Amino acid sequence: MKKLIAVLLTACMLFTTCGKNKKQNENGNVTITFWHSFVASTIPALEDLISQFEKEHPGIKINAQYVPTGDALIQKLITAIQSKTAPDISWIHSDFLADLVDADAIYEMAHFIEGENGLSQEELSDIYPALMQYASLRKKIYSIPMEATNLALIYNKDLFRKAGYDAERPPQTWDELKTYAIKLSEDYNHDGIYDQIGFFVPVYPSSGPLSGWMTWQWIPYLWQAGGYIVNEDQTEVLYNSKAGVQALTLWKEIYDSLNLSSFTVDYDVAFASQRVAMSMDGPWNLPRFNNIMKNIDWAFAPLPEGPEKRATVVGGEYLVIFKQSPHPDESWTFIRWIIRPDVQARWAMKSGYLPVRQSVKSVPEFTQYLEENPNFKVFVDQMEVAQAQRPLDNFGLQITRHIAEAIEAATLGGMDPQEALNRSAEKSNKLLKSVQKE
Amino acid sequence: MNQQQYINRQHRKNFITGILFLTPTLVIFSMFILFPVLFSFFLSFHKWNMFSSSQSFIGFANYQRLLTDPEFWQVLKQTIMYTLGTVPLNMIIALFLAMMLNKKIKGKKFLRTAFFTPVIISPVAAALIWRWIYDPNFGLLNYATGFFGIPPVNWLNDSRAAMAALIIMGVWKNLGINMVLFSAGLQGIPDTYYEAAEMDGAGRWSKFWNITLPMLTPTTFFIMIMSMISSFQVFDIVYVLTSGGPMGSTKVMVFYMYEYAFKFFEMGYASAVAYIFFAMLAVLTLLQVKYMRTRSGYEGV
Amino acid sequence: MATNNVKIQKLGKSILTHGVIYLLAFITIAPFIWMILTSLKDISDIFVYPPKWFPDKIQWNNYARAFQAAPFGRYYLNSIFVAVTVTLGQLITCSMAAYAFARLKFWGRDVLFYIFLGTMMIPYQVTMIPSFMVLHWLGWIDSYQALIVPGLASAFGTFLLRQFFLTIPKELEEAAYIDGCSKFRVLWQIILPLSKPALATLAIFTFMGTFNDFIWALIVVNSEHLRTVQLGLAVFRDRYITDWDLLMAGSVMATLPILIVFFFAQKYFIKGITLSGIKG
Repeated sequence: MKKLIAVLLTACMLFTTCGKNKKQNENGNVTITFWHSFVASTIPALEDLISQFEKEHPGIKINAQYVPTGDALIQKLITAIQSKTAPDISWIHSDFLADLVDADAIYEMAHFIEGENGLSQEELSDIYPALMQYASLRKKIYSIPMEATNLALIYNKDLFRKAGYDAERPPQTWDELKTYAIKLSEDYNHDGIYDQIGFFVPVYPSSGPLSGWMTWQWIPYLWQAGGYIVNEDQTEVLYNSKAGVQALTLWKEIYDSLNLSSFTVDYDVAFASQRVAMSMDGPWNLPRFNNIMKNIDWAFAPLPEGPEKRATVVGGEYLVIFKQSPHPDESWTFIRWIIRPDVQARWAMKSGYLPVRQSVKSVPEFTQYLEENPNFKVFVDQMEVAQAQRPLDNFGLQITRHIAEAIEAATLGGMDPQEALNRSAEKSNKLLKSVQKE
Repeated sequence: MNQQQYINRQHRKNFITGILFLTPTLVIFSMFILFPVLFSFFLSFHKWNMFSSSQSFIGFANYQRLLTDPEFWQVLKQTIMYTLGTVPLNMIIALFLAMMLNKKIKGKKFLRTAFFTPVIISPVAAALIWRWIYDPNFGLLNYATGFFGIPPVNWLNDSRAAMAALIIMGVWKNLGINMVLFSAGLQGIPDTYYEAAEMDGAGRWSKFWNITLPMLTPTTFFIMIMSMISSFQVFDIVYVLTSGGPMGSTKVMVFYMYEYAFKFFEMGYASAVAYIFFAMLAVLTLLQVKYMRTRSGYEGV
Repeated sequence: MATNNVKIQKLGKSILTHGVIYLLAFITIAPFIWMILTSLKDISDIFVYPPKWFPDKIQWNNYARAFQAAPFGRYYLNSIFVAVTVTLGQLITCSMAAYAFARLKFWGRDVLFYIFLGTMMIPYQVTMIPSFMVLHWLGWIDSYQALIVPGLASAFGTFLLRQFFLTIPKELEEAAYIDGCSKFRVLWQIILPLSKPALATLAIFTFMGTFNDFIWALIVVNSEHLRTVQLGLAVFRDRYITDWDLLMAGSVMATLPILIVFFFAQKYFIKGITLSGIKG
């Protein structure tokens, strides 16, 4: 017992001492702490990016710290802000930007953009406008996108051929999507449950971690039908309009006719085992799919065109600078550097994410890369029709949840789409009214 | 020195020793447990998004809003269902296993470890296989129940079945905890009691009712209280298995509270939820204490 | 003839009980076996539906890859160091507190005990932010103290040991008091040796709880050199992507230390204690 305690005490001392000698600021260098949530497979690309930056900026060191994503990142940020131990830069998802702004925790980007080392109007408008919309709140820019993503259709060419479809011509319209979805479904053992699904409609519990993922995939359909989530002055939601009903009806019809409530497998597992013919996904999965699905002939294609127009939704991660940071200008230098076209090209090719600037497409290496990677090109091309939802100034999280509840109610719950959307809209409008009163 | 003085002195001495014994625990307890608990009580009367540095006082508004939210009542009902579904089942199976493993069984070490593994393995990994077990098309459970002529059930997407699915996984996950606790409790019963009873010709059931159960009272009481608390606080397996779905049918108390705290950033409201169900748990616990005391007259509760 | 029948009956019963208990054991352990098998699969073997039990080709490589994805060696040392320290500390603090609650009659004892019980009824999800603030006021964010000290007191552990101490016959201690033993010596020399099963139980639970803790370690630690295994495992999961092969390999590695501790602590249940010689 005594021995054990002695060993522990020594261990304790050892641990603390070797922790201490790692402190920053050795020779006048500035160290920027940067929180990110890249998964293991993307980290080499990030390390490459950082070493490149440090080579070009000898006075600045980047200390990239991995923080688990989702709720963990939020909890981490909350406690860090409260204890004044926030990093200099963090990546965030746009859904909780409003709370960071309301807490006065982050800089408004105008502070840097208009500064000496700022961005010209030209450069600023070179960033995809949809991304800048997500990066802003109440018409002010609070973050800068580090990379872009969007949503496309993934389909199994072999199953297309088997069903007698042209494998190079995925569905172009909603009607085609519906007929393809039904024709590509198979019930091998005739037990009344489809063993192969034509189109996976991403319905998840609205209360769960995939709720936002579901809404994110539904929103493009709302736009394709010409709809909006909220009106211009944010006094009323519009997702229960005719367009909303159309979009939700499309999902519901496919969901019901394929009896998808009996299909509880993860869609990527199902797709890889040839049980799903069409599904939707983003570019982040490209490297993984290349690895898992070597034996299948598959491809990405743009989302089908809706009754009104083509549209997809953008995502991506956004960088913010904390007011607690002792080195805001050096932090900006890093962000400013990341969005340089050549850096963006290099980062996109290594990480599999999409560049945030339109001019990257004219970087020669990138043009060549696109030709060699047609699936990646689908996403880059789709950026032209990629939209962002009008940023919700208040109750963004709750309203997104309400939409998810409507989707779940109409598909899994079997409710009439109009009624489901109206119920949710009523809740959302009540919240929006409470803001107006204040 | 008269007797009264002696007792008083003894009490004072006990008080000092008691405090001394409690000091290490009390210091840490008050800093990291008691203060946070009281602070969240304070928060339940405030509005706070956790990012900002100040809380605004809103009186009983959180409680008022909570009690008028129909979802809260639904969640309460579902939490009680989950608790009623898991606690008795878990305790009975755990006691059965603990007693079996106290007997002549080959491979006790292996068996104990086997029953304890669900407690150890990460809920994320566990959910992966449970989702497969519950799969309506290829799932093992429907395959097994098919032998008894039970028609296939859509376990995770049917609002009525999902709670049952959650309860089954909940019992599986925490069985090992109570098994270990009962095992430890059984070890504490002196063999002499059984020997004496055997000499009096007592049968197996009589020994169980007259020796095992009464002697286990402090352990049983502990397990009951702890199981109830942990069932009321079930979160991990809900999060990974059903995420509260379908249609909110497996949303339980802590899940609901967690959503308000870390999805909508309303810590004040979340704290109010915590205190409402603290009140309920406290009442339930006191009732149990009363019941156990009158029934067994044992001071161990 | 009659004795033969009894023997056969007994044998039959024994086979039946063994059958039932081994079946139950298999059902409960199956997911763990599944986890191990999955950790040995190639990623393309995992993405198969309906799932297969056995890998086509065993991929020991997953373990090496998982181990290299982050400095897991360091994470391991941290996890084990923290879990062992907390476990030892809690055994000491909890047994002292439990003894006070179980045996010493003093003013305010029951109220204090009910406060202990009551705090367990507040879910940690609402108390973790204020606990974090206390740590911040102490200036302990991002340190070993942050991972260890809050774990050194436990209402659960105190309650568990108190309940066990209550089952120990008082006669034993009374004899010791008459011999002039101090309270502390009685606890150390009489109560604790008799409480091995309970102490072992608490040790397992504490070790497991500390080793498996994610959320607390997440918020109090920033630096790489202080991270624990559970934080490391998160690197295999994104919002939408899970590297199942690596996650499973990592999870198996994270489970092993606890299994080892469980195996080790088990002997205290099996050996048990015989309190013969005490009047009932």
